[in-house]
Amino acid sequence: MTADSAALCSHCLLPVGLRSMRQTINGESCAFCCYGCSIAFQVKRGRGEEAAAAWLLIRLGVGAFLSMNIMLFSWLDYTGAFTGIDAAMGPVIHMLLLVLATPAMVILGGPFLREMVVEGLQGRLTSSALIVVGTGAAYAYSAIAVFQGASHLYFDTACMVLMLFTVGHYLDAAGRARAARDLAPLLAAESEWATVVEGDTERRLRVAAVGAGMLVRVRPGERIPIDGIVVDGGSHADEAVITGESRPVAKAIGANVFAGSLNVDGPLLIESAGRGDATRWARICRSVRDALAHRGPSQRLADSIVGAFVPVVLLLGISTSFYWSRYLPFDQALLVGLAVLVVACPCAIGLAAPMATSLGIAMLARQGCLLRDPAALEALARVSLFAFDKTGTITSGRPRLVGIDSPGVSGDEALARAAGLERHSEHSIGRAIVEAAEARGLTPLETHDVRAWPGRGIGGMADGRPVAAGTGKWMRESGWPLAPDIGERARALENAGHTVVYVGWDGAVRAVLSLDDTPLPEARATIAALRQRGIGSALLTGDLPAAARRIALVAGIDDIEAGLTPEDKRETLARRRAAHGKVAMVGDGLNDGPVLAAADVGIAVGSATDLARETATLVLPPGGLWMLPWVVDVSRAVRRVILSNLLWAFLYNFVAVGLAMAGLLRPVLAAAIMAGSSLFVVLNSLRLERLSGPAPFAEPDRNSSVAVVPPTATRGAPLAGLTPSPMEHPVR
Amino acid sequence: MTYYVVIFAAAFAGSFHCIGMCGGFACALGHDSRGPAATGLRHVLYNSGRLTSYVFLGALAGGIGQLICTSQGTAVPGMDGGLDIGQRALAIIAGLLMIAMALQFFGRLPGLHRLSIGFGGSTFAMMLRSLLTTRSHAAPLAFGVFNGFLPCPLVYAFVAQAAGTGAVQSGMLVMVSFGLGTFPAMLMMGGIGRAFSAVWRQRGVWVAGAAILLLGLVTLGRGVFPTAMSHAMSHAMPHSISQGTSQGSSQPLSIERRI
Repeated sequence: MTADSAALCSHCLLPVGLRSMRQTINGESCAFCCYGCSIAFQVKRGRGEEAAAAWLLIRLGVGAFLSMNIMLFSWLDYTGAFTGIDAAMGPVIHMLLLVLATPAMVILGGPFLREMVVEGLQGRLTSSALIVVGTGAAYAYSAIAVFQGASHLYFDTACMVLMLFTVGHYLDAAGRARAARDLAPLLAAESEWATVVEGDTERRLRVAAVGAGMLVRVRPGERIPIDGIVVDGGSHADEAVITGESRPVAKAIGANVFAGSLNVDGPLLIESAGRGDATRWARICRSVRDALAHRGPSQRLADSIVGAFVPVVLLLGISTSFYWSRYLPFDQALLVGLAVLVVACPCAIGLAAPMATSLGIAMLARQGCLLRDPAALEALARVSLFAFDKTGTITSGRPRLVGIDSPGVSGDEALARAAGLERHSEHSIGRAIVEAAEARGLTPLETHDVRAWPGRGIGGMADGRPVAAGTGKWMRESGWPLAPDIGERARALENAGHTVVYVGWDGAVRAVLSLDDTPLPEARATIAALRQRGIGSALLTGDLPAAARRIALVAGIDDIEAGLTPEDKRETLARRRAAHGKVAMVGDGLNDGPVLAAADVGIAVGSATDLARETATLVLPPGGLWMLPWVVDVSRAVRRVILSNLLWAFLYNFVAVGLAMAGLLRPVLAAAIMAGSSLFVVLNSLRLERLSGPAPFAEPDRNSSVAVVPPTATRGAPLAGLTPSPMEHPVR
Repeated sequence: MTYYVVIFAAAFAGSFHCIGMCGGFACALGHDSRGPAATGLRHVLYNSGRLTSYVFLGALAGGIGQLICTSQGTAVPGMDGGLDIGQRALAIIAGLLMIAMALQFFGRLPGLHRLSIGFGGSTFAMMLRSLLTTRSHAAPLAFGVFNGFLPCPLVYAFVAQAAGTGAVQSGMLVMVSFGLGTFPAMLMMGGIGRAFSAVWRQRGVWVAGAAILLLGLVTLGRGVFPTAMSHAMSHAMPHSISQGTSQGSSQPLSIERRI
């Protein structure tokens, strides 16, 4: 793909493709995908001082004036106003029509002619060729007929067809701008300005020019242009685009803010944390732009059909004229051919996919789901199996205390002693133990002289006696004996994939704490929602089978393959694909890159950096697993719209060309139907706007038997309760 | 003829409504620095652009009315020189539309007002501003053409009337009378427009509203009581209507063939 065809239309943000029109408007170089977008953009953005925009309006206005007068005089002519006494007026009126029609053809047909020539020089025939050939023939015939004194002229037909096409293109483009309205904020990082405060003065700088340490003022309602820390003011920020969090987040002095989020209700002064073009938002914008510039498979198919379509229609139109000229007067046969050319304009086919795809990409991106390639959207709609990685995808990726075995002493005492030690540790296991103690309302035992032995454990003195927590091996090395039943249980737990911490005091191991990674609270609901949509789920993990089974049971996945190396995962995926058709792989994007890349759709949760590495084609925001069913819904809706658009466009062309060839369609009616057909495609695509957002995941009842860590806990909030699940403690 | 004079008068009164709205545009066209002749040309071009749009709309509406009438009229020929079912339905719809527009002039039906003014009008008007400042002679003409398509209840009312006539030619004539009726006020925007106070302008709007209401009632009456009204109005209404389907059925063939 060349850089030229990868550009986006300045108006509707669809890829301009091969047929770009370039113009300089308001001093900026703009590219347009079609004539309609060029009109609509200038109508919307053109300023009074802007000669180009005003000139376009003047041309269209004068063209309309001439065409309408041609129509009016032609109508009078047809209704017999210039017969009888006024018969002498006839030739004068005909000459007047010629005088009016000549500039009208130049003004209204010029852009189509220019497009035809530009494309023709590059060896392509586009739909503009159909319009030019058709209307040109009608004009040429009528012009000759004026001098031959013939009674029937078709200036009105030629001008009206051109007017209808111009207006139709404009309306199409205006409709497509609604899709662009959703996309614009996602592409804004590149054009955003920041208000930089220097002492008492403020100046506007391009975001790219903002460096680390600069102070940026953001007023309520504005978009925060840079990553940084609030140094003055307070507000709420809507970070949906960045984190997927739909509720506004309170921002006080010292809080981190992210570029791309909206400052809702208060002024903020922000110290920039880095370069303005290196923010996550800027990366998101770049990836959205890349995604938009790609063409999906159905679009490529449609484009190649359109390419072959135009010459075929041109031939059909000309041969239709020849055929009918044997039975009808020449002018009538010409009109039949003109109707064929006009009605068969493949605009609707060309529009069928890109607009729906753009709307889908925008809809996903607004929720923080980033897509690298529109092809993935179409593939996702047909996926029949989701393969999940375990750690960090289905599970929180953080250990949690799930059991205490302490024969002879209370579990609370063992936990309080362990927490007293682990309070001094930064290790994730230590944090899990402290959190568990807090959740039970225990006060960690005051412990002194704490020292950590990396890879073994942690030890110290409490109440003047030694306390230690660590591995079994370390306990044995230290000569602290294990009661036989403790050792047995611990081995059973370890075999089942738990992480086991031995806790001892007074020279003996007295308790075993078992920790485990736990499924995310939303995992079960997500898997169930996917099943409702007819999509199976499989768990592919490198962990022990027992651990995988435990997680799969809670999440509701039946299909498990454990103990896989990354190569095994790829092979398994290939096997599944052979059995199921399209397979998507969901991972955390950090260590399963190759597997993600091998799937039909690689989905990474919470790691937008992966998008840049091009392993995942879809990236969900952090904690966004629950959006998966909604993403599938969006992809299916987009696919449905694309298919219905294509079906409509082909069916319409088939029927309309047939009718026109049979001589049943008049050219002006054909042009009106044509314009209506592409409008239909635009409006059908806009139906996607009505698709609802993802239904927020309802947190499960805290008192339910399935103990899960609520999402807030993963962000450091205290545990609300430690209710062990019976399923998680089969060995206890 | 009387009929078109009535329309001209109603449009003239209604154009005080224009002074409040489109008059702003006419004022903005203002004076041309190249002298009074150039200024005059600007305004003539602007108004002919506007007139063309109106007449085009009228012809379209008349054509649509004609299509409706003939598709019905061929099956049920007119009874005792009156109107057939299609024409009656058309007259009732057009009459009701006119009455609705008239009520709006008296400040009734505010929802309809929003519908008729707000629909895309503001964006359209914004874009037209760039034309006002351009010095080209063609700019006022283009401006007038677009101005003619700006959402305006006064225009809608008369387009409904044009459709009610059920023929292209008479539809055109309705809108020609209407367009010419708005000429005086719009041409003399600089002088007359400012001389009249807001109160007088409001009275003009009421007069227009009353005229439209009257026309609407007459049109509606033609649909509801065809025989009585056709006798009463035969001297005022355009011939294609008062003479029933005889004219209407001979014309449309040629139109249909072209469209």
